[in-house]
Amino acid sequence: MLKAVRIAEKDAKIYFFKGPNITFGLLFPAIIYLAFSVGRTAEATSIIPGLVAMSSLFGAGAIESIALPLERAKGTFERLLVAPISLATIVLGKALGGFFFGTVLSIVYLLIALMLSGGAVTNPFLFAFGVILSAFTFSALGICISAPFRDVPQAMPPATLIRVALIFLGGVFIPVATMPNYLQYTAYLLPVTYAIDMLRQATTGHIIAQTVIMDVAALLLFALVFFAIAVMLLKKTIR
Amino acid sequence: MNAIIKTQKLTKQYGDTVAVNNLDLEVLEGEIFGLLGPNGAGKTTTIRMLTGQTKPTSGTATIANHDIIQQPTKAKQQIGVVPDVSNIYEEMSAWDNLIFAAHLYGVPKIDREKRAKEFLELFELYERRKDRVANYSRGMKRRLTIAAALIHKPKLLFLDEPTSGLDVQSSRMIRKLMKELNDNGVTIFLTTHYIEEADQLCQRIAIINKGQIVAVDNPEKLKASMGERQAIEISFSMSRDLEAKLKDLRCVNDVSILGDKCRLRVDDASEAVLSLVDFARENNLKIISINTLKPNLEEAFVRLTGLSPEVMKTEIESVKKKEE
Repeated sequence: MLKAVRIAEKDAKIYFFKGPNITFGLLFPAIIYLAFSVGRTAEATSIIPGLVAMSSLFGAGAIESIALPLERAKGTFERLLVAPISLATIVLGKALGGFFFGTVLSIVYLLIALMLSGGAVTNPFLFAFGVILSAFTFSALGICISAPFRDVPQAMPPATLIRVALIFLGGVFIPVATMPNYLQYTAYLLPVTYAIDMLRQATTGHIIAQTVIMDVAALLLFALVFFAIAVMLLKKTIR
Repeated sequence: MNAIIKTQKLTKQYGDTVAVNNLDLEVLEGEIFGLLGPNGAGKTTTIRMLTGQTKPTSGTATIANHDIIQQPTKAKQQIGVVPDVSNIYEEMSAWDNLIFAAHLYGVPKIDREKRAKEFLELFELYERRKDRVANYSRGMKRRLTIAAALIHKPKLLFLDEPTSGLDVQSSRMIRKLMKELNDNGVTIFLTTHYIEEADQLCQRIAIINKGQIVAVDNPEKLKASMGERQAIEISFSMSRDLEAKLKDLRCVNDVSILGDKCRLRVDDASEAVLSLVDFARENNLKIISINTLKPNLEEAFVRLTGLSPEVMKTEIESVKKKEE
């Protein structure tokens, strides 16, 4: 675990302030949100969870779309491979880096959303738990997406495409309940849906224990599956 | 002496291409072992398999009695790896690189900074320890890569082309260091394009070609395996258009032109010298210098791989370009 933390620390030093990370992690959520919210009236209970989930998805995922392919392009990934650590530790370290960036970005966007909407978060503890869980899940997803690629320009387009699709299908702008049936079924297969639901309940304070438990279970399951797939994909690369 | 590396029928196949074929190798504890071969012979693939960067298709290998597939973490704890292209983090400082490497290998907190300082001083990088590595020269990067590979004091050090493309000062420092490390009990597994480097440093050499070991022995025995084959290096007052004429001499097997000198492979040096004196007289040439050469490692390499040393030189250039 300690070695994974060191990998995350190193990623923070090297990749947090890289151009693509700033563009896709920091600015992209704001641009997308502005593009879809200007001229529309939205309530605080919609703005806060939507903006925070989106910043978490882009923040946690963006660094993974850079860190892993860039390490492989530069040959520094081999430094990790020859060290006495398991692939699972490497993936965990990478995921922690994304998790940290996603969490910090979520907090920044939460403050912006609070200022823009004038609203408040009714249950800050549940909200914080939701932010942490979402950031880890999205970070693991980011590694899954970038694992097959050996350079940043290859990894960025699919990573961005998948994340944009997740935003629209996961209920950031359009509530899942108002979607056609087939899209609703699709939405329930996406981690963003559960993240937004959990954050929305924490924001409004209208908490239904069963659905929160389901959200937590779903996010944990997604995180585990993404983590396992990431390890498997990386294992393939050393064959 | 115990074998620190032991491979049995180690094989790596990429599709239909067999990169390493049934490699049986033993590297003894405390020796400098050289793996010599042309590009694509399987040197780097062998190192990549032994260090856990790629999985063997079949066969087994152990590092300090730890199976590289069954006990990879234990095996990796014993080794330091210096790849052919420096792979330190260029965005970080030399100091941060070494501290990070120490963390990865679980070096105790009390030793981490002490060792980082020790190695940075040893490699003459301490003054610039806080600079971003991106601003370092190629030689400095290579020295730092070696320092990072040594931070946990490994029993076995893998060096893949450690001096290729480096300036004379850095190359000398690295060669000297290899000897010192070896004197202190570190086993060194070295791959190199430089035949002379292998000859000077290694206690044993394996020559690999097309994925297979064609000879393993100490350098002197490999040279002796050339038998009575000898070479003569001769320089005439005029060297133009001589190659074809020299090839026609009965006692000469092969001719290569090296600058203003002609190197001739012959079976009997004394007979060849007499013929060359006659040749010079017949062609109105003056002999500027003449030397008989004993069989060297290069000769053994050429005979065992069927490749000319010029091919190796071309490969050195390609490695240099890769580094740039």
